[in-house]
Amino acid sequence: MLQRVWNAFRASRVGRSIFRVGLPASNLERAQVAISSFLLHLQPAKVHKRTLKPSTTFGLGLISLYLFLILGVTGVMLMFYYVPATDAAYQNMKDLEFVVTAGRVLRNMHRWSAHLMVVFVLLHLCRVFYTGAYKPPREFNWVVGVVLLLLTLGLSFTGYLLPWDQLAYWAITVGTNIAGYAPLVGQKLKFLLLGGHMVGESALIRFYTLHVIVLPGVVLMLVALHLWRVRKDGGLARPDEPAFVQQELAPGQLPTSKTYGLMELARGSTPAVGLAPEDVVFTWPNLIFRELLLFLAVVAVVLVLAIFWNAPLEELANRVHPPNPAKAPWYFLGLQELVAYSALWGGVVVPGLLVTALVLLPYLDRRRRGLGVWFARERKVALTLFTVCLIAAVVFTTIGSLFRGPNWSFQVPWKPIPAEEQAFH
Amino acid sequence: MDTSLRRYYPWFAVLGLLVGGLVIVAYYKDQFREWRSWQQVFRKQELARANTPEARAEAARIPVEIHQLVLPGLNRVDRCITCHAAVDDPSYSGFPQPLAYHPNHDQHPFDKFGCTICHQGQGRATTREAAHGQVPHWDQPMLPMKYIESACGKCHLASDIPNAPKLARGRAVFEEVGCIGCHKLNGVGGMIGPELDKVGASHSPEWLMKHFKNPAAVSPGSGMPPIQASDADLDALTLYVLSFTGEEMSAYYVSMKSIPGQLAGRRLFQEKGCIGCHSIGGQGGKVGPALDGVGKRRSPDWIVAHFRNPQAVTPGSVMPQFNFTEQEIRSLTEFLLSVTDTNVVGFMKIPALMTSVARGKTVFQKYGCAGCHGAGGVGGIPNPNAKTAQQVPSLIHVAAGYTKDELKKRILDGQREIPSLDPAKPHPPLYMPAWRGRIAEGELADLVDYLMSLMPKADNLGF
Repeated sequence: MLQRVWNAFRASRVGRSIFRVGLPASNLERAQVAISSFLLHLQPAKVHKRTLKPSTTFGLGLISLYLFLILGVTGVMLMFYYVPATDAAYQNMKDLEFVVTAGRVLRNMHRWSAHLMVVFVLLHLCRVFYTGAYKPPREFNWVVGVVLLLLTLGLSFTGYLLPWDQLAYWAITVGTNIAGYAPLVGQKLKFLLLGGHMVGESALIRFYTLHVIVLPGVVLMLVALHLWRVRKDGGLARPDEPAFVQQELAPGQLPTSKTYGLMELARGSTPAVGLAPEDVVFTWPNLIFRELLLFLAVVAVVLVLAIFWNAPLEELANRVHPPNPAKAPWYFLGLQELVAYSALWGGVVVPGLLVTALVLLPYLDRRRRGLGVWFARERKVALTLFTVCLIAAVVFTTIGSLFRGPNWSFQVPWKPIPAEEQAFH
Repeated sequence: MDTSLRRYYPWFAVLGLLVGGLVIVAYYKDQFREWRSWQQVFRKQELARANTPEARAEAARIPVEIHQLVLPGLNRVDRCITCHAAVDDPSYSGFPQPLAYHPNHDQHPFDKFGCTICHQGQGRATTREAAHGQVPHWDQPMLPMKYIESACGKCHLASDIPNAPKLARGRAVFEEVGCIGCHKLNGVGGMIGPELDKVGASHSPEWLMKHFKNPAAVSPGSGMPPIQASDADLDALTLYVLSFTGEEMSAYYVSMKSIPGQLAGRRLFQEKGCIGCHSIGGQGGKVGPALDGVGKRRSPDWIVAHFRNPQAVTPGSVMPQFNFTEQEIRSLTEFLLSVTDTNVVGFMKIPALMTSVARGKTVFQKYGCAGCHGAGGVGGIPNPNAKTAQQVPSLIHVAAGYTKDELKKRILDGQREIPSLDPAKPHPPLYMPAWRGRIAEGELADLVDYLMSLMPKADNLGF
C-alpha cells in the first residue's frame, strides 16, 4: 500500500520535479543519481577503489563533518532555550538539566560532539600529513583545512563560555589572556573579543553571536569548498600509477569498449585522464553505503557518551573566586603550559610559528614522492619534524591537563589535592 | 559489485538497532525522573485519605507534574514543592518528609519567598541530592536547622527581629571580638583581612567554625589570630556570618533593612541633636519637655503630626520644623513610643547622654580595636614574630607612655611596619592601620579618653 502511494507520488509531476532519479537500477542511473542530486553531487559519480578502503583515511574527515552536523542540529535545539545573558545563562543550564524534555541529553551530545570534533579534526590533519595528501595539486585544500581547524577551535572556545559557570568563565579568562600576549595587537584583540577588559556581559553576547552564526556559517561554506576541492583535485590522494601513466595513447585511440561520461572528465589525476578507469566503482551505492554506516556509528558513540556521562557544570561564574589553578580548555593547555614558562613563547612565538608552518607546508614540500602513502620512506625528514612537533604538543597538553595543580605546581593526577586547599575558595 | 556490500548488511542492522535502542534509553531516562515517584507518594496519600467517591475522584485527578515557585525578585525558581507537595496543607502537620506541612509562614508567604532564600539548597533541581545541594559544584547545601536564623539576617537587621536570639547574639559577638577592625562589612571596617560581604554564601558552617578557632588551619598563611570565645558564642558568630550572603534581591525584600524602626529612629534622634533641647532620664536639655514616657501622654498620630509641623499641633512651640521625610518621622515616632518611664536606663547608651569614657568604649568596639588588642584592650592576641613578645601590645598602660596628643597621632598614623623579632622569619601578619580619614574627630577624642582610663588605679600610684 505504502509502496503504491510512493510510486504514484514519484510518477506524479510533483514527485518527478523533486526526485529526478529514483533508486538507481542501472549504471546510468547510478551515475545520474550522484550527478543530479544536490548533496550527492559533492562527490563524483565514480570513485577509486582505494577510497573505499578504511585504512586510506579511516573516515576521519567524514567523522568530523558528521560531528559538525550533530552539533548543528543539537545546537539549534539548545538555542530554543538558551538566553545569552549573564543572569540567565547559568539558570538555563540548570533548567536544561532538570526540567527541559531531553535537555540534558541534548546538551551532553553537543558538549561531547564538540570535544570529539576537535579531536577528529586534529586526527584528520595528522592523517593528511602522514599520507602526504597535501602535496600538489591539493596545496590550497590543505590551507582551507588549516583554516577549518582554527575555526573548529574557535567554535569550541566560543561555546565554552556560554554555560557561564566557573569552568567557562575562567577558561575563557585564561584563553583570552593568552591571546593578549600577542605583540602590538594582543591587547586590542583581547578587547575586541571580550568587548571590554574582563569577561562579562559583552563578552558573552559576542561569543554567542560568533558561536551560533558567524563561525558555523563560515565553517559551512569552507566545508563545502573543502569537499568540492577534494573532488576537483581528483578525489583522495593516491600514489601515481606509473604503469598507466606511461601508457601512451595516440589521439583518437581511446579504447572503444569503454563509454565515458562528462562526470569522469576533470582536471589532474582523475580516474579518467589518460587511462582506463579500471579501478573505479560507482559512488552509489558503494561509497554512500559505507558513509551511512559510518554515520550510524558516529551517532551511536555520541549517544552513548551523552546518555551515560553528563557534561560538566560547575558553580555560577564568580569573578572574585578564581579556581586554583584556572585552566584554559584542554586543547589550549599545551599553550598555557608554555605560557607558564614564558608568555612570549607560549602566547606568541609557538602558536604563530605552528600556524605559519602549517599554512606554508604544502608550498615548501612540493615533491610528489610519497603521495597517498602512509609514512612514505622518501619523506623521512618531514615525517620526523612533524612527529616531533606532535609529540611535543601531546606532552605539553598532557602536562597542562593532568599534572598541574594549585599555583600551576607540578602534581601527579592520582594524588588527591589536600582538602584544605580545595576548601579555601 | 553490489554483492560485495552484502557483508555490511548485518552491520547496518546492528548499528541501526543500537542507535534506536539508545534513543529509547535516552527517552526513558528523560521521562522517568526521580521527582515523579515523590509525587506519586503524595497522590497515594491523598487517595488513601479520600473517604468519599468525589474526593477519591479528585485525588485521582492530581496531575503528576513539576510545580515551581517563580521568584523574580529573589532571582530564584524553587521547585521544592514538586516533591514537598503538602507544605501549605495544615492537615499534613507533623507528617514525615517529604510531605510535612510547613508551619509559621503567615508573614513569609511561599509565593513571595519560596523556599531556598531561607533553607538554601538548589531550588531549580528536581532530584533529591541535587535539590538539597549535596552535590559537587553547589555552594549552598541546605542550611542545618540550627543555623536557620542566619537566613533572617539576609533581609532583616539582626537587632530588629525578636525571634532570632542566636542571630542577635552572633551580632553582639561580632562586635565584641572586633571583626571589623581588620575586615570590611558593607563597606565599613579595616583592610587587613578580606571583605566579609559574601563569605556566608560560599563557606560551610564547619569551615567557619574551624576558621574562628584556628584560622591558619583552614586558610593557609592566614595571620588572623584565633578568636577567644566560648563554643556557644563561636557558634552564634558562625550563624551571624552565614547571613552575609550578598544576596541580590528586589527592593521588596531589602527594604526590610530600611523600613522605619526604633533603631533608625534612635540613630536619627542622636544625629539631629534632639538631646540639645529634650531630656531622657534627666539627661539632656531643658528647653523642650522631657521625653520619658511620651508615648503614654501622646498618641502616635499626634507625634507624627507634631514632627510634620510642631506649631500646627502645639501653637507657640519653639521647636523648629526639621523637614523630616515621612520615613524618618515614622522611625522617630517608633523610637519615642519605645521610651517609657521604666526603661530610661537603657537609653543612657545614647552617646549624647554618656561620659566621654563610655562613648570611647563604644568607639573602641565600633572600629573593632578588640580584634587585635583584645576585649578592653587587655592584649594577649598573638602576632607571630612581632618584637612585642609576639603579641599585639596591650593598651591598658598607654596613659603611662603617651600624652593625649601623642596617642591621637599614633592612632591616626598607624604603624605599617611592625619590627620583627627574628629578621629571618616572615613579617608579623598584624599591623596598626592608619585611622586618619576613617575616624571622626569626636570619636577619636572619646577613644583617647577611654584608653587613658584603662590604667589600673594601683599601677598609677608609684610614680
